[in-house]
Amino acid sequence: MSDVVLPNSADDSDAGVPEKASPRGSKAILEVFLQNKLALVGVVSLIAITLFCFVGPIFYHTNQVISNLANANNPPGRGSPLGTDFVGYDELGRLMVGGQSSLEIGFSAAILAAFVGVLWGAVAGYFGGLIDSVMMRIVDALLSIPVLFVLLLMAAIIKVNQLNLTLIVAFFAWLVPARLIRGETLTLRSREYIQAVKGMGGGAWRSIFVHIIPNAIGTIVVNITFQVADAILALAALGYLGFGLPPPAANWGAMLSQGITFLYAGEWWLIYPVGVLIVLTVISLNFIGDALRDAFDVRLRRR
Amino acid sequence: MRERQHSTATTRWRRSRSFGAAALTAATLALGSAGTFSAGVAHAASSGNVIFALPPAVVPNYIFPIMSGTYYSNVNLYQFQALMYRPLYWFGQGTQPSFNESLSLANAPVYTNGGKTVTISMKKYAWGDGKPVTSEDVIFFMQMLKAETSIWPVYVPGEFPDNVVSMSAPNASTVVFHLDKAYSQTWFLYNELSQITPLPQHAWDKESAAGAVGNYTATPAGAKAVFNYITKQAQNPSAYATNPMWAVVDGPFKLKTFDSTTGTTVFVPNAKYSGPVKASYSSLTLEPFTTDTAEFNALRSGAVTYGYTPPQDSSQIPVIASQGYTSSPWIGWSINYFPMNFNNPTVGSIFRQLYFRQAFQELVNQPVDIKKALYGYGYPTYGPVPIQPKNNLSTPQEANNPYPYNPAKSVALLRAHGWSVQPGGTTTCAKPGSAMGDCGTGITKGEKMVFNLQYNNGFTYVSQFMQQMKSDLAKYDGIQLNLTTAPFNTVLANAVPCKGKTCTWQMENWGQGWSYGPDYYPTGESIFETGSNINEGSYSNPVNDANINATHVVSSTSALYKYENYLALQLPDVWQPDPDFQISEISNKLSGVSQSSLLNFTPEFWKLHS
Repeated sequence: MSDVVLPNSADDSDAGVPEKASPRGSKAILEVFLQNKLALVGVVSLIAITLFCFVGPIFYHTNQVISNLANANNPPGRGSPLGTDFVGYDELGRLMVGGQSSLEIGFSAAILAAFVGVLWGAVAGYFGGLIDSVMMRIVDALLSIPVLFVLLLMAAIIKVNQLNLTLIVAFFAWLVPARLIRGETLTLRSREYIQAVKGMGGGAWRSIFVHIIPNAIGTIVVNITFQVADAILALAALGYLGFGLPPPAANWGAMLSQGITFLYAGEWWLIYPVGVLIVLTVISLNFIGDALRDAFDVRLRRR
Repeated sequence: MRERQHSTATTRWRRSRSFGAAALTAATLALGSAGTFSAGVAHAASSGNVIFALPPAVVPNYIFPIMSGTYYSNVNLYQFQALMYRPLYWFGQGTQPSFNESLSLANAPVYTNGGKTVTISMKKYAWGDGKPVTSEDVIFFMQMLKAETSIWPVYVPGEFPDNVVSMSAPNASTVVFHLDKAYSQTWFLYNELSQITPLPQHAWDKESAAGAVGNYTATPAGAKAVFNYITKQAQNPSAYATNPMWAVVDGPFKLKTFDSTTGTTVFVPNAKYSGPVKASYSSLTLEPFTTDTAEFNALRSGAVTYGYTPPQDSSQIPVIASQGYTSSPWIGWSINYFPMNFNNPTVGSIFRQLYFRQAFQELVNQPVDIKKALYGYGYPTYGPVPIQPKNNLSTPQEANNPYPYNPAKSVALLRAHGWSVQPGGTTTCAKPGSAMGDCGTGITKGEKMVFNLQYNNGFTYVSQFMQQMKSDLAKYDGIQLNLTTAPFNTVLANAVPCKGKTCTWQMENWGQGWSYGPDYYPTGESIFETGSNINEGSYSNPVNDANINATHVVSSTSALYKYENYLALQLPDVWQPDPDFQISEISNKLSGVSQSSLLNFTPEFWKLHS
């Protein structure tokens, strides 16, 4: 999982003024983001990949449910621009279908992880004391477990489907945002506007949901982008190790794993296209994440 | 035995006759040329280490020759234990699966008393501690086996060792078995006596580490105690190379080191081996690999002396040849299939319908599987007797698929038996009942054809077989297979005979079927007879049982032909292509290698050139 250098929105903002995104603030964020050319490349690539996966099948029809072993491992040619895979599925169509599940699981797991992590971290940071200690020791304990080992264990004992796989990946992904938001909350909770809420009789949950979390939105958004990339890689790793979605479902990791089997046979079309897509997706998300981090950093905004 | 992960597949065996007794001749195989051994010749001593690549993800893990199905693998039996503890009778002559008297510890058995008495005379072999291999060592094995039949994988109630009603050792070199009736001498040698491995009674017959050696196995209780003691020692693999009891060997090799974590095994020649040929090189290493890709990488780098090319990399064989290797497919004496659980409480009633199994089988396209998934390195399985190596035991019916790939016929068969076939959907039973044209006994109206199938994820070809079969079943018959994958050992552990509510597995495919051994004569009692310990799906058919039992007493092949022709049509399992055991790559520096279809190997014959 990527550790993110936090945009410290609270440190540089006016101590007594909540930093909710205003139209002016949003514009500034957008300006900084757009100045990052790599980010734009990332956005364009991600949009292109998403369209390829979700819109592509509308124009490029293939049967990705019924295999045809007689056509297995055919090289690129007429009818199959990227050849066929080891059971005869059209590889180009397979990339689209595999990308759908990879992106869906990646984004779902990241959002779920962010939701749980933000809530966990904010509660721990806001209440502090024993609650904080207990909650964060749980996080530390889970972080100390080799993630891949547990992912494999869970994938082995649980019937794998898209929902379960999302939950499995998210199960460990929430730990990093929990730590980040907890640190952010420790800073925010001492701000004057939080004290004011308390002084006026506002409850803890109001402070958390209305003031703390909105002011940590930069950290959250940035983290989600990295979480998506990490989730896609985790999914690819699981698929590579044979614990991905069962056939005929596809995902890029499993496709890459199968392709590697035919490495010496020279069947490049089973390796390079899917490898490029995984790398491109992850790099795009990282570019976007880096740019968002800069954009949410008030020190980099023009006043 | 069930094969453990091999790079490409399975093995099959064959048994033959040729040990002289005229009565056996008719029952044995039409064997071709034998191997290239030069028995009786000791090679000039040379140095060097021969590195033999183990199949992917398979390592030796049990040293005691009396073992449960958990450990009953080719690697343990033939590439590990047999190098140290030789079976009483050796099978395999070069590439042919026939009886090899010259490598056996005893002369061919002599039958008297109308075939009810078997006399075995031991040859002059010695253990590593200098003591002779005697008849007491055979009795020692038999007494422990009789005490522990429940764990013996190829045990069939009423058969070996039950059919040996009494035994004696009148002198150190003679063993006499009294049988419950006269049997086919071919069958009794190839499938019953073949199970015996003499063990060093003078060193192992004790009930505890601190206890003295005695004659404890003379009683069943004592035999159990001794068995338990030895088993306990065997369950400590880290001591295999250091525990003195394991050094008492009569085979051509002894253990030098054994890494119980990785499975890396190093043998050195047993200087006191009293067989016809002694190893001429300094050590033999069994090298484990996690995947066939890892093994192939090692092969390409020249790190193994005797390895294999995965079938998907067969295009690289010329490259390997240019690096100094000779390629040679290693074909085993085996069949490949996967079981349906006839005792499953929910879907067993469907599996028990012959028409269903026929419809299912008619959507297994073995020729395409062999061509596209095995790259031609395999053979179809159409019945219980292997069709390769070429032999006279398989009938034309087995060589010509009785249920060729035929989607239209498959669909028609289901419709003719009351099923509402929904191609691409889910087929349901429309006419429950047991009359002609009904779905069959125990099948309810509206019952769906949805099944679970778990398969071994270690081999690409198994995945290809299963995915294609799933597609065809759904596309034509509306049969939905829920595929899941698991490691080889998990699949094997799940595929056990069972009954009752907890007997929930439906179909399990470890991908490698059955390699005939030590039941070398393919009469199928170990895997297809009612009540066998490894009849995984609990297939039970009185006609088949009678046919099998007839093969045990009739020496001609007629009974075998009747058995196999009947069972091939009954489909006790789902037949699937049988891959070659491996595409061997043998360094040109290594000579004297012949690949037994029984998968046992004789590395003492190999010669390593510098």
